[in-house]
Amino acid sequence: MIYLDNAATTAPFAEALHRYEEVSTIAFGNSSSNHGVGRQAQKILEESRREILSLLNVAKTHGMVFTGGATEANNIAIKGIALRYASRGKRIITTAYEHPSVLEAFRYLERQHGFEVIVLPVDPRGFVRPEDLEKAMDDKTILVSVMLINNELGTINDIAALKAVIAKYPKCLFHVDATQAIGKWHGDFSLADILTFSGHKFGAVKGIGGLVFRNSIQFANIESGGDQENGIRPGTVNVAGAASMAAALRKCYEQMPRFQKKCADLYGELYRFLSETDGIELNSNPLSASQSPFVLSFSFLAKKASVIVEALSMKEIYVSSVSACSEKTPVSRSVLAIGKSSRLAENSIRVSFGHDSTLEDVKSFESALAKAMEEVRSL
Amino acid sequence: MNCQQILIHFGELSTKGGNRKLFINKLGSNIRHALKAFPAVVVTSDHDHIYVELNGEDAERIAAILVEIPGIQRLSFIRRVSKEISAIQAAALEMISEEKGKTFKVDAKRADKTYPLDSYGIARAVGGYILSKTDWKVDVHNPDVHVQVDVRREEAFVSCKTIVGAGGYPLGMNGKAMLLLSGGIDSPVAAYALLRRGIRIECVHFASPPYTSMAVLDKLEDIIGKLSVYQEDIKLNIVPFTKLQEAIYENVDEPYCITIMRRMMVRIAVALAEKEHCLALATGESVGQVASQTLDSMVAINDVTNFPILRPLATSDKLSIIATAKKIDTYEISIRPYQDCCTIFAPKAPKTKPKISECVHYESRFDWKGLVDECVEKVEQVLYVGGKKKQFEN
Repeated sequence: MIYLDNAATTAPFAEALHRYEEVSTIAFGNSSSNHGVGRQAQKILEESRREILSLLNVAKTHGMVFTGGATEANNIAIKGIALRYASRGKRIITTAYEHPSVLEAFRYLERQHGFEVIVLPVDPRGFVRPEDLEKAMDDKTILVSVMLINNELGTINDIAALKAVIAKYPKCLFHVDATQAIGKWHGDFSLADILTFSGHKFGAVKGIGGLVFRNSIQFANIESGGDQENGIRPGTVNVAGAASMAAALRKCYEQMPRFQKKCADLYGELYRFLSETDGIELNSNPLSASQSPFVLSFSFLAKKASVIVEALSMKEIYVSSVSACSEKTPVSRSVLAIGKSSRLAENSIRVSFGHDSTLEDVKSFESALAKAMEEVRSL
Repeated sequence: MNCQQILIHFGELSTKGGNRKLFINKLGSNIRHALKAFPAVVVTSDHDHIYVELNGEDAERIAAILVEIPGIQRLSFIRRVSKEISAIQAAALEMISEEKGKTFKVDAKRADKTYPLDSYGIARAVGGYILSKTDWKVDVHNPDVHVQVDVRREEAFVSCKTIVGAGGYPLGMNGKAMLLLSGGIDSPVAAYALLRRGIRIECVHFASPPYTSMAVLDKLEDIIGKLSVYQEDIKLNIVPFTKLQEAIYENVDEPYCITIMRRMMVRIAVALAEKEHCLALATGESVGQVASQTLDSMVAINDVTNFPILRPLATSDKLSIIATAKKIDTYEISIRPYQDCCTIFAPKAPKTKPKISECVHYESRFDWKGLVDECVEKVEQVLYVGGKKKQFEN
């Protein structure tokens, strides 16, 4: 099996699985229980929280609650901020290629709560332009939400430049969906007022995520329940998941230079191959400081991406296409957002590398892709 | 419900003359098979009925299984009591009290001609007793509840409740058909119609990976699981159709592709049907639903064989097909989004009135016979028993 869909999810690290099992066994108590095994769970939970915040280098300025994943974190962040600070203004800004958990949360606020939603365009290379944000900002703007690394194109937005624009409006908070960046990008996370992410994208188990926020920030109640996680995310806390996420993030940081270098080589090789292959158009940019080496998107000019993905799947090579072959063919929103045709957006493929990816994997993928393109009819 | 026996009425079987015994034996063995998880239950039959002795098993649970068995017109819940009229009256009163309604009538018969009351007398005694003890009224034309009393030699049967069964014929009575199963909404409903008519089914699916997703096989497995309520063992033939499909699209002009594809599918299905001793093909086609299902298309497609093709949904409209799909619980499975071979290659303007002569002309352009034979030879067979994969053949 050759797994090149690590932006969808990663295989958990052995360390993360081990930690999950260990905590589930020795400290299975409810972290809210006031007895030995509960306090033990509570202790591990707080250690995990501290470790994650310090690895992200925001421990002094930011706090964190554990969530079920990035989708839940995005919902709490966006709805919780907008509803909490609506009295300051009702204009909120996001971008055209955000994850559905961001875009749909914005749409919900627009429909149900009368917010004015601004959706910023993306430039043809796949970046949110600070000048577009500048034009959209006003005194009534209370929230800007921009993803750090796009989940299909791998473009890295310049959050420092975006933050500089937002900083002129002291009432406005900056949410950064860092789902594809955590564990893979070593920059200044403290630029974000609110950060969201999911553990399973960087080697933790599924079902655990994080909402990191500047200490002064408050959230309106989105989920009703007990006072776990300061009432921001009520419900019994997934302590083993939290510990697993801390273990995974620690490993990511230990290996980051080597991992980045390896993926840069893989990215360079695949990018070269694809640019020399007829019938393919690249959607991602050549490697640079603003291009993640972990995610690469390209489109077929004449072939159907879903068919190629199936052909590769038959050879146990797993990459992702947006299309799951439904009657209403879904399109890649990110590819559309950079101004490509819907034909290209419908027929895009995303390759994403992980810790186990090797150059042989990439070579095998390349020859299988070439063969599939030769064998499969254009439709 | 406090009853000891379920009495099974045959309905359409009654018209079957000399074959009657065969039908009853088949239905009896199907019932025994369906109830094999209940070893205490005893199934017996005579010329008029099948009797399911519950021996302590729960009547409602057994009835829920029986109503799905083709060939059963109606089921009555029977309480057996001693022959004294007071015992019959007490049982009838207790049973009618469990029913909903306002009106009733009593019918009685007596096999024991020495019984002190005649059948009219029995009905009057039981009816009068119910009237004196309850608010129920008599309505002999359109009663809410029909109380039936049957005084036999040893004991008496009392029944207040009869429910409608699946109807049709006992499964296996009418041979076996090879059903083209795409995974869509229609073909499982066609399967249900065939099974109710006593026709066993075997399924054939045309797989065109990578143009179609292999995930469709999980979908078929789930559909077969639902159908196994009616036929426990179902064989699925998976035809590797990719090469033939590609050849069609290389050699045939686009508007005729679907027609030629369906003609090839019929040829392959007929070859498989003959191998598997099926007496007919069956499809979920409904006249006019799509281009390949117009009458003109059916004529052009049917032209390749004189093997009978059953189309149980031919004149059903989509809404009633969907209603049945929901009833047999296959709808939610069928609407899962995977393309089948028909949709992925769908031409922009398919021919709605294809001509046989044109079909023959297109088919003369390439050597399809070898490809059809290859499809038949390389078919993968999977047997499902109770919806679970049993074995691989070939």
